[in-house]
Amino acid sequence: MRSLFKYFAAVSLVLVMCVQAKAQNPVELNIGYEMNIPSGSFRNYITNPAYKGFTAGLAVPLNDQLSLGLSVAYNDYYQKYPRAVYDEGKGSAISAVISNSIQQVPIMITANYTLLKKGFIRPYIGAGGGLNVISFDQYLGEYDNPQSRAKVTAEGEAGFYIPLSSYSATAIKIGANYQYAPYAKGINLDNWGIHAGIRFALR
Amino acid sequence: MKPFKKITGLAVLGLLILTVVSSCKKDPLSNLSNDDSRIYITNYDTAASFETYQTFSIEDSVNIILNDQSLGNQLNAYDSTVISQVSQMMKSRGYTLVPKTAKPDLAINVSRVTNTSTGIISYPDYWDGYGGFYDPYYWGYPGYDYYAPYIVGAYTIRDGGLEIDILDLKNAASLGNKIQAVWSGLARGEDVFNSANASAEVSTLFSQSPYLKSTN
Repeated sequence: MRSLFKYFAAVSLVLVMCVQAKAQNPVELNIGYEMNIPSGSFRNYITNPAYKGFTAGLAVPLNDQLSLGLSVAYNDYYQKYPRAVYDEGKGSAISAVISNSIQQVPIMITANYTLLKKGFIRPYIGAGGGLNVISFDQYLGEYDNPQSRAKVTAEGEAGFYIPLSSYSATAIKIGANYQYAPYAKGINLDNWGIHAGIRFALR
Repeated sequence: MKPFKKITGLAVLGLLILTVVSSCKKDPLSNLSNDDSRIYITNYDTAASFETYQTFSIEDSVNIILNDQSLGNQLNAYDSTVISQVSQMMKSRGYTLVPKTAKPDLAINVSRVTNTSTGIISYPDYWDGYGGFYDPYYWGYPGYDYYAPYIVGAYTIRDGGLEIDILDLKNAASLGNKIQAVWSGLARGEDVFNSANASAEVSTLFSQSPYLKSTN
């Protein structure tokens, strides 16, 4: 509960900073499509990429290169395994078709730094941290064993902007990211992702 | 305060969009055939020596258990197929079918278990009423109790299923007048009580129990 309070306090602080910075710089909105690939122990459950991914975020430029913001994303992972017999120990065995369905909604405070102020392509790097809302359903046949958790998460990303105008912040954003996503002891839902979207200023 | 209101509004809008988007998640159940939906759970007493049993007998009808109450025995096409297939599988594993009056080493009970009121059936719940479902007198052991020596049912399962229990009559007296379950098989899922699936259900339960064989 204390960590949750700290998280919301941090979010509030960022929002206040953003509001103050907004006096000089317009808030930018990022929206985009995202595809993610499970990594590490996540692959024990799902190896299929998540094609249903979306991301959105608000960012306030603190200067020409650095911006702070808040982002939210959604990724839907699913994999069905052929029927197999699972030894449960102590004389118990279960034959089942297992389906794993996992949805992740990371809500993060983000910082982005644009490496070049000018140019047709402007590379950037970014990092974020926050809360990951996870819904993990494992189906044995038609029988669900649902679990939902909220865990801390962190992300690093890199990519580039392609400005569409010299006079506004509107740009195409293309990048890749890695999300560190602990779920339970010994189980992480870490993933690699690629995303493409658009950034524009809110007047 | 105007910028703050704008940001709050956008955040709320974002969450709304996220809610709509998340409702697009793939429904795993829609990608399952009826066969995929079924699960098969077997449990056995790891202390039992299945090779030491030689004969078995199987009840000639199926007990219908609804909400932990026995509704008596029935024999429809599905039940007949199950009983026949269980007999065949036991014979193929080296056991000899004998009448119950011949003092078989193993007794086999078959049940159709359905629970509609409490919503949850687990193996321990099912075993709570076992003496009421199957009178030990039927197997020639009046006054004996039934006993499942192991904790079974890693998952609690809703609705109906086929239950097959193999009971140790050979050692009942030496176990303190207890008829001990040495193997349980459970099939659940869509169309589980369909006659066309009966043989496959029994075969699946036996195929994941290779230890179930006699030296006969």
